[in-house]
Amino acid sequence: MREITFAEALGEAIYEEMEKDPTIFTYGEDVAKQGGIFGAYKSLLGKFPERIFDTPISEEVIYGSALGAALVGMRPIAEFHFADFLFTGIQSITLQIEKIRYMTGGQGKLHLLLRGPDGISNSAAAQHSESIETIFMHTPGIKVIIPSTPYDIKGLIKTALRGDDPVICFEHKMLYKTKGPVPEKEYLIPFGVADIKKEGNDVTVVTMSRMVHESLKAAKELEHEGISVEVIDLRTLVPWDKNKVIESVEKTNHLVVAHETWKRAGWGAEIASVVQEEAFDSLDAPIVRVGGKNVPMPFNSLLQDFVTPNYKDVIKAVKKVLR
Amino acid sequence: MYEIKMPRFGLTMESGFIEKWFKKEGEKVKEGEPLLEVSSEKITNEVVSPASGVLLKIMGKEKEEIKVGTVIAFIGEEGEKIKEIKKEKVKLEKITKTAETKKTPSVKVAPPKRGGRIKASPLAKKIALEKNLDLSSIKGTGPDGRIEKKDVLLYLSSVSENNAEFKIEKLSGLRRTIAERLSKSFHAAITLTNTTEVDFTEFKRLMKENKVSITSGLVFFLSKVLKELNKFNAHFDYDKKEIIIYNNANIGIAVDTEKGLIVPVIKNVDNLSLETINRKIKELAYKAREGAISENDIKGSTFTLTNLGMMRTEIFTPVINPPEVAILGIGRIVKKPVIVDEDKISIRDLAYLSLSYDHRIIDGADAARFLGKLAKLIENPALKLKGVKRKTL
Repeated sequence: MREITFAEALGEAIYEEMEKDPTIFTYGEDVAKQGGIFGAYKSLLGKFPERIFDTPISEEVIYGSALGAALVGMRPIAEFHFADFLFTGIQSITLQIEKIRYMTGGQGKLHLLLRGPDGISNSAAAQHSESIETIFMHTPGIKVIIPSTPYDIKGLIKTALRGDDPVICFEHKMLYKTKGPVPEKEYLIPFGVADIKKEGNDVTVVTMSRMVHESLKAAKELEHEGISVEVIDLRTLVPWDKNKVIESVEKTNHLVVAHETWKRAGWGAEIASVVQEEAFDSLDAPIVRVGGKNVPMPFNSLLQDFVTPNYKDVIKAVKKVLR
Repeated sequence: MYEIKMPRFGLTMESGFIEKWFKKEGEKVKEGEPLLEVSSEKITNEVVSPASGVLLKIMGKEKEEIKVGTVIAFIGEEGEKIKEIKKEKVKLEKITKTAETKKTPSVKVAPPKRGGRIKASPLAKKIALEKNLDLSSIKGTGPDGRIEKKDVLLYLSSVSENNAEFKIEKLSGLRRTIAERLSKSFHAAITLTNTTEVDFTEFKRLMKENKVSITSGLVFFLSKVLKELNKFNAHFDYDKKEIIIYNNANIGIAVDTEKGLIVPVIKNVDNLSLETINRKIKELAYKAREGAISENDIKGSTFTLTNLGMMRTEIFTPVINPPEVAILGIGRIVKKPVIVDEDKISIRDLAYLSLSYDHRIIDGADAARFLGKLAKLIENPALKLKGVKRKTL
């Protein structure tokens, strides 16, 4: 199968859907001329000049206009420049986008997609490195998708562009250039279906985004020590595939949840809570979470490495639950 | 979706004891495949699956006694949902949940206690509960001495080895029935045993010639004696102070099986030829050992024969199989020097007959008469076999 990058797969998904659906248009800061600050739209450069355009730096306006456009029947894809900046326009999202469908009794469909980069990069410091997906898991009313591979982002974005609900998609900065197999034939990936990226018997690691790759690396190293790790990529956080996680825990009896966002009240806590509520008798050890240290991201690259979880932390966590 | 209900093997069966499941929850089953083993008070049978599909849920666990007709499992398609069914367990008897072998290990381990509480993972607790294990005898190797699944499994495997001081086993359905019936018999009947040594030389030769077993020959002769002394071919109802005397002999034959004693019955022995008796005994003994015996096969005996002749026992005191009034035991046939024809010594095949009888109904002299008549037939087998058998006589 051909291999393309994460960014190319994203571009393909958007391009294919724009060709089919004239109501789709996409905009944000530096998307049209630059192709996105991390090259997310590089493959879309020069395409659909009327429907892909740049906006001024005003998050409130970007998200708010998407809301308005969706309400009048368009399918906007609005890019947030950095996930960190979602907070600057947060009220459009948490007060309006998440609520309108409910407050109108379902009269207003809200097919809009917010998407953009999150996570660490090389010393981007405290305001440009955050992963804040948990906020949108906590506040109901928006679907949250966080793909980790080119294959997944293409299938999930296409699904998002065909639904009637608002969706937010987090794309890890370090993933845009990663390559992976993507079939040329069209496919869609439904929301709420986790993907077992690696099967194993001794411990289940539930993870998403960049940490999927760290977990797979950890699993490979642990394999040499005779420890068989099952890596589950949730792919979508709202809704998340509870059944697959519980089935896996029933098999392995051990669970680690790994994410880059802060450990404190990160979404791993929610997964851990649900598993102990619903599969208590299958647990042979306390659930262990892997997450970022509870501090704003330092600029210093050594310190960034220190607070950000990687495969070594996953290995440590696995060994802790199997101790 | 199919409901599997506790089957009824016979009219009198009210509850069944689940000995063993051959399939696990979630496993696929085919129609007609053995699903579980159930024992009633009388017999143990395999229950086959009525349908093909997935064994969705097991409601009746192993070693549980469950009322006939109660749903014990569901078979359906993968992922099918099961409606909740209340389990009606038999309340008459308190049956412990499991009958897993419980032993104490020879290695003494300190219970991982702290502040009186045993630390164990939820999974370890669940397994321990299922296997009826005492957590305090399991050593935990997890953090802070927490007992984990592997500790419970290790304990389970260690106790199944031969290093235990003793083991406690719950009785299987069949063994429980044997125990209950025999203790009832032993405490109710006033059992005495008369023995006599009988010359089997001629008998043995004739049976060999006719290609039938010693047991078959004994059954054949027994029926003749029972016809004459029909008091022995009877059931005793102490409460009503009645003896029911049967015209025809249904002779039960004790068979030693892996699971314990089973007593299949040869019906209407009077009307059967020696060969037929021999064939029937073979069939029933085979069925008993294979666990394929039906309730009908073990019902309605009026007298019982128990043969320990193939093992090293000469004289023993059989226990009456109630509501019968007597039981005959035969021991090993041994070659011995015997004085014959006044002063001649000859080597003969001798064995003891042991007749146990309920003295409430039968007197010692009756028993002596019974043994006398039987011994005479055995010692002169040609007398009775005449007319019944073709050659040799």
